[in-house]
Amino acid sequence: MKIHIHNLYKSYQNPVFEDFSISFKENEITCILGPSGCGKTTLLHIIGGLIRPDGGVLEGFQDKQLSYVFQDPRLLPWKTVCENIEFVLPKHLHAAERKKQAEQLIKQVELEGFSCYYPAQLSGGMRQRVSIARAFAVSSDIILMDEPLKGLDAVLKQNLIQWFLPIWKADRRTVVFVTHDVEEALQLGDTIVVLSKTPARILLQTENNKLEKTDRLKEMLMTALENKESG
Amino acid sequence: MKRFINKKETLTVLSIALLLGIWKLLAVILNSPYLIPDPKATLAAVIKLCMEADFLMVVGSTLLRGLIGFVLSGILGIAIGILAGISPTFNTLITPLLVTIRSIPVISLILLALIWFQTGAVPVFIGFLTMFPFMCTNVSDGIRSIDPGLIEMAHFYKVDKKRILTGVYIPAVMPFITSGASSAMGIGWRAIIIGEVLSQPVYGMGTRMQMAQTYLNVEALIAWTLIAIVLSFLFERLIRWGESYIIRWKNAS
Repeated sequence: MKIHIHNLYKSYQNPVFEDFSISFKENEITCILGPSGCGKTTLLHIIGGLIRPDGGVLEGFQDKQLSYVFQDPRLLPWKTVCENIEFVLPKHLHAAERKKQAEQLIKQVELEGFSCYYPAQLSGGMRQRVSIARAFAVSSDIILMDEPLKGLDAVLKQNLIQWFLPIWKADRRTVVFVTHDVEEALQLGDTIVVLSKTPARILLQTENNKLEKTDRLKEMLMTALENKESG
Repeated sequence: MKRFINKKETLTVLSIALLLGIWKLLAVILNSPYLIPDPKATLAAVIKLCMEADFLMVVGSTLLRGLIGFVLSGILGIAIGILAGISPTFNTLITPLLVTIRSIPVISLILLALIWFQTGAVPVFIGFLTMFPFMCTNVSDGIRSIDPGLIEMAHFYKVDKKRILTGVYIPAVMPFITSGASSAMGIGWRAIIIGEVLSQPVYGMGTRMQMAQTYLNVEALIAWTLIAIVLSFLFERLIRWGESYIIRWKNAS
């Protein structure tokens, strides 16, 4: 079963999307590649309902619970790691149940022993892990991720990718992952979509076997990106 | 860390000792209890004042006036500060009023208040008016400082309004409230005593200071001043203690 966006229109001063359509496969990671300013974040915001499109149909999102991993972790600085996760859990849960669920997630994202720490006491990578844990804590069907690895150094990025995949595999939720980094897309995406500059078009959409790295695919993506940069 | 605290404490004691030394020196040079009384005699006067039957009544009345003014300015300052923080239009509307209140000389306010109110209410009114702008400005600054990304995150995860209020808005504004309270308390406390000096309520530290001045009892005047300083210092400590608890997340790193 697929999730679609049909004939999307959105413009600010300039059109960002004009008759744009895209599909996402369920239980897969779809990576959307493109340079900054090409409308990737706008697309996630529209899917997430944070901004309204000028036109178009979103199909398959209506009855879905969504999670969002923002570019900056957006943790409440006055709440501990555990409290930050508890904050988004449904209110009908008892405090004890909420705490139990949060602690379980903290264990899963390998932050055991840090649940009483405040965000300021954690490194950038750890904060982003808490943000990812929060996204997984909510029983969402789709997780939207907006360049969550941006600004982290190469080693930390690698560690987070290696750490993220097994957690994702545990329940294989549908993920829409926005990035401008080809390597990230190749390592994470089951499907990779390359977008053009605004108004956004799909330059390339391809399946990706994460286990079998091919230089040919990387080259294809790079070429598509370069064309877009120059055009 | 411990050594640092010890050094700091030593310096504080030295500073107080220096002040007492200068005081003593001036008292010896001038050699007149009507100009500068001896520190030892003044400290004895403080103890004597504390033993007096109506001491608690006098200090309590002033404290109560301060507290009422403080609470009123807190309630109104927070309410109006929230509105000013949320609505730019309201903020533009209220800003000239706040600037005016802050610029009015305290003495003008007191003289007007003497005409308008009964004596006991004058210091309360003065305290309220001097403290209110601090609370109001700080709260509206606090509201404006809230990261919209956090609110967006909370809305996205469908967190209910009550929890957004208690989990995002209030903790974000609290440090601004305590810092506003701290500045307000310093200014307000002095204003209340000036108010008492001029309005002469039956019980009040200001009234006692005015009486001491009338009878050229400089010893008692300085003794009351010392009591006022100690009380102000204790309030300041109380607020700082509350503040360090409220913003413990900031100091945690």
